[in-house]
Amino acid sequence: MGLRDILTGRHTVKGPASDDKLFAITTAYITLESEHSIEPTGDAAIVFQALATSDFESTLRDTEEVVKATCGDSGTTVATEDDSFGYRWMVLRNAAGAPSVEDLAVGINAVSSSIEAAGHGERLLCAVFAFADGQKRRIYFIYNYKRGSWYPFVPVGGSSNERSTERELQLKAQMGTELPIEPELERWFPLWGIPI
Amino acid sequence: MAAKRSNFGKDTGLQARMLLTMFLLGLVYVVFLGVLFAVGAGAGIIIVVAVVLLALQFFGSDKIALASMGVKEVSASQEPELHSIVERLCVQADLPKPKIGVIETSMPNACAMGKSKKNTTVCATRGILELLSPAELEGVMAHELTHVINRDVMVMTLASFFATLASMIAQFTLFFGGGFGGGYGRGRDEEEELMLILLVSVLVYAISFLLLRALSRYREFAADRGSAVLTGRPSALASALLKISGTMERVPTQDLRKAESMSAFFIMPARTKQSLMNLFADHPSLEKRLAALERLESQLQGAA
Repeated sequence: MGLRDILTGRHTVKGPASDDKLFAITTAYITLESEHSIEPTGDAAIVFQALATSDFESTLRDTEEVVKATCGDSGTTVATEDDSFGYRWMVLRNAAGAPSVEDLAVGINAVSSSIEAAGHGERLLCAVFAFADGQKRRIYFIYNYKRGSWYPFVPVGGSSNERSTERELQLKAQMGTELPIEPELERWFPLWGIPI
Repeated sequence: MAAKRSNFGKDTGLQARMLLTMFLLGLVYVVFLGVLFAVGAGAGIIIVVAVVLLALQFFGSDKIALASMGVKEVSASQEPELHSIVERLCVQADLPKPKIGVIETSMPNACAMGKSKKNTTVCATRGILELLSPAELEGVMAHELTHVINRDVMVMTLASFFATLASMIAQFTLFFGGGFGGGYGRGRDEEEELMLILLVSVLVYAISFLLLRALSRYREFAADRGSAVLTGRPSALASALLKISGTMERVPTQDLRKAESMSAFFIMPARTKQSLMNLFADHPSLEKRLAALERLESQLQGAA
């Protein structure tokens, strides 16, 4: 943000990072699986601010069609839901028993590209890929669109909003070379109530 | 409740007194420097003193304000909803997460304090947490975060620095203009000169005071706009402002008096009635803010 923006108090929202690192997950998951026995659950989601305009709504309808057409062959389904904060989630689920991170990444990318193409790129927040470790505990990898970087998020089960920072830091050490991990820990924002 | 912690001595017309205090504070500042000048200190020393004073104000003000408002920092487990709202806005605004505080008062209000993006506290009162829906609260918090992004604390501090500097320059020219013209016959004119210096300093300060107030109002509009841009929901903020102002008038006077002194830091001034001239207001009127948000909403819808 430049001096002029500060003086005029004019603030524009940053769009997605120009260097898209979403597809890094499609190679990273192989290491997760083979070396750390962390398996993909076959679910991924993208979260964004849904503008209450007819323009945005029609973009979303088109997007859903595109994703269905792209992922339909592999049996991947698309579902939309709003959370209590007014953000919209588009959830992609692989057919049961056939998790494919590649399919999910292609689907998520189709959503983000069509939102960007409609000129609403700055509304994109995150993409989330769900994994489970040997003890069936949930592990999420979150891709921050503005930063173009990934970070792990491991919520501790139960009703309280707690995360296992220890596990997340272990994952960072394990995956640091494979995934572009967000270097600033204070930007590892939790997402509570992820619908996948 | 916080209301029991009543504070005697903060009873009548506190807002007016606050204004007067700020004005007097600046006056003292100027008079002090003027006297320094008259005593014979060089311009260099005066500028050094001014910079030191401003640095103190800049680095100390937020801590003093936080302490005096009774801000209590809350963890994510204490206020999960507020934390989640701010976290999502931080992702959206590409900001590191600020500290989050709650003020235990039933007055609905919110404020942000901090010098930089890395060192910020955003606060909400218990009243606003209970009053607003998540979307409205998000609009309010986005307004506060925009103050942080726009570096309003820094801008206002620097703006007042230049006002002070301007008044010093005025003194400087007057002093030397008079000094050289009078030659060695200074002794007789000294008192008159001093009066003139003070008069000009006061005048310059009075004008810059009004300008700074206007600047503050403008920054509020900018923060409203920033909030709308950040959340994509101008009407949510408008609805929040309506709710807040509606409650403002119904809240018991004791709380109103308590909260009044902190008006400058809040999203809404504690008193919504136009009791003072608009010129002196640091927040624009509700009608103007709503109109601006309405324009933003129609722009948004019109983009379809």
